Amino acid sequence: MFALQAIDLTVTAQIDGRPVPAIRALSFDLRPGKILGLVGESGAGKSMVGRAIAQLLPPGFAVAAGSLLFEGADLVQMPPSRRRALLGRAIGFIPQQPMTALNPVMTVGAQFDEHLARLGKGGRAERRQRAIAALAAAHLHDAGGLLGRYPHQLSGGMLQRVLIALAFSSNPRLVIADEPTTALDVTIHPPILRLIAEMQREHSTAVIFITHDLRLAAQLCDQVVVMYAGRAIESGPARSILSRPGHPYTRCLQLANPTMHDEQRALYVIPDQMPSLRQLQKIPGCHFAPRCPLVEKRCRSADPPDVAIGADHRVACIRAADASNIVASSGETAAPEISARIVLQVENLQKRYSIGDALFGGARIVDALKDASFSIAENEFVAIVGESGSGKSTVAKLLVGLEPPSGGRILLNGEDLNDPSSRGRVRRAASVQMVFQDPQSALNPRRRVASIITQAMEAGSRHATWDERLARTKELLAEVGLSADFAARLPGQLSGGQRQRVNIARALCNIPKLLIADEIVSGLDVSIQAQLLNLLARLRSELGFGMLFISHDLSVVRHLCSRVLVMYRGEIVEQGPIGTVFSDPKHPHTRALVSSVPPDDPREPWPALKLALAEERAKIWR
Amino acid sequence: MSALTRSLRSPRVLIALVMILCILCCAVFAGWIAPNDPGDQNLLSILVPPVWAAGGDPAFPFGTDSLGRDVLSRLIYGARTAMLVAFFASLGAMIIGTVLAHISGYFGGTVDWIIGRLVDVWMSFPPVILSLILMVGLGVGLDRVILAIILVDWTRFCRVLRSEVLVVTRHDYVAAARLLGFTHWQAIAREVLPATLPLLITLMSLEMAIAVIVEAILSFVGLGVGANQPAWGQMIADARQYVYQSPWNLLLPALAIFFTVTAFNLLGDGLRRTLDVRLSESGR
Repeated sequence: MFALQAIDLTVTAQIDGRPVPAIRALSFDLRPGKILGLVGESGAGKSMVGRAIAQLLPPGFAVAAGSLLFEGADLVQMPPSRRRALLGRAIGFIPQQPMTALNPVMTVGAQFDEHLARLGKGGRAERRQRAIAALAAAHLHDAGGLLGRYPHQLSGGMLQRVLIALAFSSNPRLVIADEPTTALDVTIHPPILRLIAEMQREHSTAVIFITHDLRLAAQLCDQVVVMYAGRAIESGPARSILSRPGHPYTRCLQLANPTMHDEQRALYVIPDQMPSLRQLQKIPGCHFAPRCPLVEKRCRSADPPDVAIGADHRVACIRAADASNIVASSGETAAPEISARIVLQVENLQKRYSIGDALFGGARIVDALKDASFSIAENEFVAIVGESGSGKSTVAKLLVGLEPPSGGRILLNGEDLNDPSSRGRVRRAASVQMVFQDPQSALNPRRRVASIITQAMEAGSRHATWDERLARTKELLAEVGLSADFAARLPGQLSGGQRQRVNIARALCNIPKLLIADEIVSGLDVSIQAQLLNLLARLRSELGFGMLFISHDLSVVRHLCSRVLVMYRGEIVEQGPIGTVFSDPKHPHTRALVSSVPPDDPREPWPALKLALAEERAKIWR
Repeated sequence: MSALTRSLRSPRVLIALVMILCILCCAVFAGWIAPNDPGDQNLLSILVPPVWAAGGDPAFPFGTDSLGRDVLSRLIYGARTAMLVAFFASLGAMIIGTVLAHISGYFGGTVDWIIGRLVDVWMSFPPVILSLILMVGLGVGLDRVILAIILVDWTRFCRVLRSEVLVVTRHDYVAAARLLGFTHWQAIAREVLPATLPLLITLMSLEMAIAVIVEAILSFVGLGVGANQPAWGQMIADARQYVYQSPWNLLLPALAIFFTVTAFNLLGDGLRRTLDVRLSESGR
């Protein structure tokens, strides 16, 4: 008996009036008490599986064929009333965004009680006892007090624990966890994953774990299904998929992910991006063929059949035997000599905010940044890592001059940057530029690409002619690897990776000495991330700028930068060469950050998942 | 497809534009269209009913009022008054409100607080009473009516636009423009204003409808454009006494106001649906 069995599940979307498969003939078996990982980049269709189970498909999408058997009963065919009776009881859900999953105007207790009342569990007092027990089982301290609190009073990690407790309170036989850690800080990832694993073992629940992170899936899951453009291209035991990937896509994805422990290697760049549903119709044969390094003529003629390459390990590729031969070409990543000339010198930089109403009292002073001192040399890439709220973005804002510092000095080539005159501002604009985190918000939707990337040429009293600007546009587009016909496009017509390239091109227009990059790859897929990281490395060797790279992803930082500043609660708690800091972290927070990255080798144990409970509890109750 | 062509394909906008064009033609070509001089008094033929009623006179298609003036001609000349007020009053209110809203929303802080409180205090006066008091102080006349409406209604633009400016200013592209060396004024004019323009146009068309009504109210109570200039509100006030003898004299100007206000509201609604990024993007 399987907890969940998908048999040739096909979900179609209506595109231009025609049905296009968003999930194609997906089959998997999930036994009770096992964890199945659905892995893929955005657009792969992995979340659609969870939605198909809940029958919450977006408008225009429908299950066209196949079945989803929950303990033998088909969820697709069964009457809605029977399915509703299963959802939330026998089938639980852990959402991606814990901050928005609970009703903000009801206390945690009221929502827990509502859920238990729906399950029909005893009287009010008994339900309260059950809720407290469930929260305590999720390692939440002071469960009784927690019931009286509102969702906004809890941190994201605590909310996710509440939601996990909620999902498991009905003793479900199946739990669907859709990227349950993506919205949380990296140091919270291991304890949350550990909690899911623990609850799953305790209740012997089957779990579908949806994620974009192959390494994480390999650590947590028993079985893994890798999806690409709606098709399961590889499935099998988690460890065997990661150690012996049979599909070129899985292999490329693995090589595109920067490593945390091995020797520095070049990132594999998968060209282009995952086709959209509309583009899919025009790709005959294997859907990965246009991006595949092993593509042959017969790949383009027919959809490849599933081939077994090991025990329970199936791959949809005719060249599965050669996948392990794919290697990342080295060459581009030869790090240039870092000169000793200091570009940026920051001395005792401070920022204080007063929060609350200054007029009617109740204002309180918050130290967003305390006494930060560091320097960046010409051509050097320095990283800032830390959790949200640690002051990383405050440093960026102060450096570019979006906000005035409360104290300290910023010296660029020896000159104090905090000269409030317009001359000082113009000088700063010419030498320090910033690439923003969210390319959607950073590009004016009304300007065309040419106008965006040469925007610096219309600033102040300068009036460059349109021809001059078009000429510069051509150069900049070539620099960031976009073709010249992008010049006339609007940001709405670009993909996430292309937007981020435009974002970078705009910052490079005046050839700055220093680039500040605030989480510029965090929202992007692994293959797009690899393209951008290689682009930055190439631009450095061509243009020779220094960069302050703000990120929460330690493996990305390790790949790109040579020095790191670790921030914690507005302070730089540790700084030094990346190799030293990451291999021998001194500050407890650095240690927590380093241990939150899953190991590259799936056979290697991940110590963070096995953390002692006491330490874990201390972390949430920071 | 640009926002402009998209709005021109909306039936609401098209119907509204045709209606407004009719009124505009009356206003601009009043001298040619009107059969009689709107001020001419024919004391021999007062309160003549319209031609379709018994006893109508073809010389006065819509009849005459209590002083024997031609109703149709007065309606046509009244359109001129209404359109002038609608256009200039909403333009003036828009300019003051928009400038203050952008300053307030973009700079925030103390400036925002001061402008916000000013709007609060201003809006706590009932608008009609405030405009009546202003008219008493300013005296009658077309320009005074326009000024009074501007002084009352700029707050409407200021309050609604400010929140939009706040949203736009938070976008990183405004910060990026500053980092590239834009001055504050350049950033407002080239990055923020284009994004608030759709809302501004929508508000302006709604404000035109309000201006027509306020002008009618002021003319009705005799504090409007002055006795020598025909205005719809004035015609209603004149016809009020003889409403039982000649109801058409009251109904026709009321219908003219209704027609004009509907046209502007329809235009505003149609523009909002087609220009508002949030509405049109979710529908795409």
